[in-house]
Amino acid sequence: MNSHTLAVGYGKVKPVVIGQNSPLVFIGGPCAIESRDHAFYMADQIAKICSKLSMPWIYKSCYDKDCRSAPDSFHGLGIDHGLRILSDIRDEFGVPVVSDFSDPAWADATGEVCDMVQVPAYLCRQTSVLRAAAATKRPIHLKKGQFMSPWNMKNSVRKIEAAGNHQILLADRGTFFGYNMLVNDFTSLPIMARTGYPVCFDATHSIQLPTSMGNISGGQREFIPHLVRAAVACGIQALFMETHNDPPKAMSDANTVLNTKYLEVVLTQAKAIHEVRLQLIQKLGEDTVHLEDQ
Amino acid sequence: MLVSDVMLSLPHFPVVQQDVIVKVCLEEMGRYRLGIACIIDDSGQLLGIFTDGDLRRKLLKIQKPIASLFIDDVIDHGIRNPIKVMPSDSLTSAVALMELHQVWDLPVVDGSTMLVGLLHLHPAVKALLPTPPSKS
Repeated sequence: MNSHTLAVGYGKVKPVVIGQNSPLVFIGGPCAIESRDHAFYMADQIAKICSKLSMPWIYKSCYDKDCRSAPDSFHGLGIDHGLRILSDIRDEFGVPVVSDFSDPAWADATGEVCDMVQVPAYLCRQTSVLRAAAATKRPIHLKKGQFMSPWNMKNSVRKIEAAGNHQILLADRGTFFGYNMLVNDFTSLPIMARTGYPVCFDATHSIQLPTSMGNISGGQREFIPHLVRAAVACGIQALFMETHNDPPKAMSDANTVLNTKYLEVVLTQAKAIHEVRLQLIQKLGEDTVHLEDQ
Repeated sequence: MLVSDVMLSLPHFPVVQQDVIVKVCLEEMGRYRLGIACIIDDSGQLLGIFTDGDLRRKLLKIQKPIASLFIDDVIDHGIRNPIKVMPSDSLTSAVALMELHQVWDLPVVDGSTMLVGLLHLHPAVKALLPTPPSKS
């Protein structure tokens, strides 16, 4: 079904493979780059956990949070400072890095440094953003908008393909259910996989309660492990979670980031379930139940 | 009389590329007022057909939202390797083939399965019927 395989990493960074029969890839880090010291501290913490679990991973952190609810919310360190830190993390840890970009004008610089570029969910159908992402020639982490049906993501995929890029990872981060509420419809994962590209589940944004706290978003973090187990069993190639060593002090998404002290236990479960799923596919083949009805 | 004498030639009938979505294919069929579209690859080779009947059967069979069906690639819902005829086939044998399979249209391909036309039942029957006597 997901016939495309992505190789995320260039230069001295060994590429991380995201594909149908590959090990589950963890994409994570603090939502925003808060400082050089904190970014390095988080990279070190995650590297230790992923090394212990033998789990391939990609460091994610953003230099500019352009969709904050309040004008005085932390916006980020800015593109120059932020990308310098991400570049140094690549060099220090030998890990691929990803950041989103919200303005087409930021795409080139983001793609020059990052091994993967991310399109924010709110911007997933903006043609100028998709074209700019494609032009970086990097693999693209394309998040499904909370307002989008999974089948309509094909339009965004085709915009990227039309611009010459065929390296796409599609992510589900929840779907609006009325106001200030998200739900997860896990049929979105196999539906998006029909595009032929690997799929990712964004657990920490899926438990978000968008702008439920007046001028910031809330979140029900206690459900992260449940959703992770369900998504991995359903079938994903990458798992996305933002994590922070001290969530109440996180400068972005304080109510949704996973406390890093829980990262190992969640990833351990995800890895185990993923491996069982791959074993089942090897034994029984891909899902073909009632495909004739389609 | 041959199939080539009465077939609709390109581009006078609905033809879509394999990655065209169902909604666009239906628009093409409506534009030509025909219940069939021929599906081709980049080189023009016939891959399949999509008909009003396929749509009716899908609507009764699938349980997913129409919005989801609309954005599927039409080739995923069409008939691959459909019955076809060649321009040099006799019109009588082609109409007999239509009768045998109870279909209204047959794609016409050359020796290398390149799509070259569409045989529609009405002009075929009209061509085979005796010319009506003049009223004068």
